[in-house]
Amino acid sequence: MLELRAITRAYELGGERAGVFGVSLSVPKGCLAVLAGPSGSGKTTLLQLAGLLDTPDEGEVLLDDQPVSALPEVARCDLRLRRLGFVFQAANLVPVLSALENVMLPLQLQGLPEAEARRRAEAALARVGLADRLHHRPGQLSGGQQQRTAIARALAPEPLLVLADEPTAALDHAHGGPLMDLLAELAAERGVTFLVASHDPAVIARAHCVFRLQDGRLQAEDTP
Amino acid sequence: MILARLALRNLLRQRRRTALTLLVVVAGFLALSLAGGFMAQTFQGLSDGAIRGGLGHLQILPPGALDGDEAQSLEKALPDGEALAATLRRDPAVAEVLPRIQFMGLLSNGPRSVAFLGTAVDPVLEPRHMATAEALKDGAKAPGGAGSRWLAAAPAAREVLLGVGLARAMGATVGSSLTLMSTTRDGALNAVDVEVVGLQDLGLRELNDRFLTVGLGTAAQLLDAGPARSRLSVVLKRPGTVEAEQARLQALLPGTTVKPWFELASFYRQVKLLYFAIFGFMGLVLFLVVLLATANTLLMSVLERVREFGVLRAMGLQPRQLLVLLQWEGAFLGLLGSALGLAATLVLRAGLNALHLQMPAPPGTSHGYELNIHLVPAVYLLVALGLQATLQISALFPGLKAARLRIVEALRHV
Repeated sequence: MLELRAITRAYELGGERAGVFGVSLSVPKGCLAVLAGPSGSGKTTLLQLAGLLDTPDEGEVLLDDQPVSALPEVARCDLRLRRLGFVFQAANLVPVLSALENVMLPLQLQGLPEAEARRRAEAALARVGLADRLHHRPGQLSGGQQQRTAIARALAPEPLLVLADEPTAALDHAHGGPLMDLLAELAAERGVTFLVASHDPAVIARAHCVFRLQDGRLQAEDTP
Repeated sequence: MILARLALRNLLRQRRRTALTLLVVVAGFLALSLAGGFMAQTFQGLSDGAIRGGLGHLQILPPGALDGDEAQSLEKALPDGEALAATLRRDPAVAEVLPRIQFMGLLSNGPRSVAFLGTAVDPVLEPRHMATAEALKDGAKAPGGAGSRWLAAAPAAREVLLGVGLARAMGATVGSSLTLMSTTRDGALNAVDVEVVGLQDLGLRELNDRFLTVGLGTAAQLLDAGPARSRLSVVLKRPGTVEAEQARLQALLPGTTVKPWFELASFYRQVKLLYFAIFGFMGLVLFLVVLLATANTLLMSVLERVREFGVLRAMGLQPRQLLVLLQWEGAFLGLLGSALGLAATLVLRAGLNALHLQMPAPPGTSHGYELNIHLVPAVYLLVALGLQATLQISALFPGLKAARLRIVEALRHV
C-alpha cells in the first residue's frame, strides 16, 4: 500500500548532517505500522516524506504502486486531502471551530455538501467516543478528547493511509493505551493503514509491524 | 463557504484587534464620506450661485463673444435677441429665456464719476428665475441700503440697483439720483438719469465695487440698442439635460454659440479643481493609513497562526486557498467597517447639520454660509468600494506569506 524506496532527505541540524538516508520500507494495506527509534533518529522526517509534506532528495514514495513524491504541489495537496490523514503529537485542532466543525473541515474542503459532511463527522466522532462533545471547542476538551477528535478528523474522509506523529506523547498512560487500542481497532475494522512514529513501548506493543530507525537509517523490521 | 466561515471565526477570535482595525476603517469611511458631503454642498452652492446668478443653464451668445473684450458696449451682440428669445420660449425643453445686455460706462453724481460694469435684465422675468432677491436682501443691510427693492416692471422706469461697494464709492443710498453715461452702438456718447432703488451684495467684493443692474428699457435707451441683446440666459425645464440640450440648441441656432453654464462659471471650475486636489490628497493619505494599519493587523494574525496554517496545509488545503482565506478576512473587515462607517456618517452628519454651524466666508466672497453636509449615496458607495479594494490589497501580502509557508516548518512553529 505504502512503499518507500531508498529515501534520502538530509538537512543541517546544529552544524551536523541529519535526516534519513536510503530508507526503504513497505507497509501493506490495513497494517498498523510503527516507526520506532530514539529522538533524532528520523521518525518524523520519514513520516513527513511518506505523508507528502516534504520532498525527498533522493528515492521515491509510492502509494498503491503509484509514485507520488515528485507530483506537483497541487496534486500532492489533493492526495493529502482525499487519501491521507494526519494525527499530530499535539491535536492541532482549529481553535475557533467546534469538535464537529473540525472533523467536518476536510470533508467540506473535499466539496462534500454540508449535510453529508455533518453526517460523516458525527459518525466519526461517535466512533471515537465523542458523540456527546460535538459542539465543544478544543479549549473545552481534555487532551485525550482533543486527540480523539484529531483521529476522527483524520478518519472521516475515509483515507487509505493515516500518518500519526507521536500521537500518545502528550497523553498519560491511562489515555495513551486506549488511544492506540482505538487505532488498532480502526485498522482492523476499516482496513485503514496506519504509520505511527513513536518511541512509546505501549504503542510498539500494539503494532503489526515495527520499523526501527537509528541515525536516519533503518536498522530492523520486526513483526511482534 | 467553509473558508469564509473560517475567516469570520478568526476575526471573532481576536475581538480587540478586530475592533481596533474596524475603528481605522470606520474613521477612514467617516472622514472621506463627510468630506464628500461637504464638497457636494460646496459644489451645489457654487453651481446654484452660477446658474441663478444670471448664467442660467445655457447661454446663447453671439459668435466670437468669448474670444476677447468688447471695445464698446454691444459690439458683439445678438442683432435681434428679443425675437430669438421669443422663438426659444416656444421650445418644449425651455422653461424661460432671459435676455441680457452687458454694458460699461461711467456712473456720475455730478462731482464724481466711477467706471461701472452693467447688466440689463428683464425686470419681470429676472426675479422669478434668478437669485436677485437674495442679493437685494443682503444689500439692504449695507449702509444706505435700507428700503431696497427690485426694479419696477414699467419699461419707462429709469432705475438702477448698485453693488454695495459702488454705492459706497459714489456716496449713494436708496433714493439717490445718478447719471449713467456710455456710448451707443454707433459710438455716440449718451447719458440717462436713474434713481437708485436698491443695493445688491453679490457675494464677491470685486463685483460689489463695480457692478450695477438696470432694466432692459433703461439700457436700450442708453445704448440705443433696439432689439439687440448681448446674450440670452436659458433656463431649462430639466436641469439634468444641460449637455444634450446644448448640442440640440447649437444645431438649431447655427449663427450663435450655445454654452453650458459650467463652461462659463470659471470660479466654479477653479474651486472644483482645488477641492478635488485637496480632498484627493487627503483621501490618498487616508487610504494609505487604512492600508498600513490593516495589513499590519492581518500580518500579525498570520504570524500567530503559522502552526494552524501548517495543519490546514497538511490536511490538503492548497496554497491559493490560504490566500483566499486571508482575502475573506479582508473582505469581512471591509464590509463590516464600511457598514459601521456608514452608520457613523449618517449619525454625525445629522448631528453636525443640526448644530447650524456658520462657515467662514470663502476666499474672495463677502459672506459665510451654514454648514449642511449633503447626503451623497454615490460618494458612500465610492468610499466603500475604495476601502474594500484597500482591504483586499492589504490582505494580499499576509496571504502570500501564509501561502508560501513550508508545511514541515510551519508544523514545527511554536
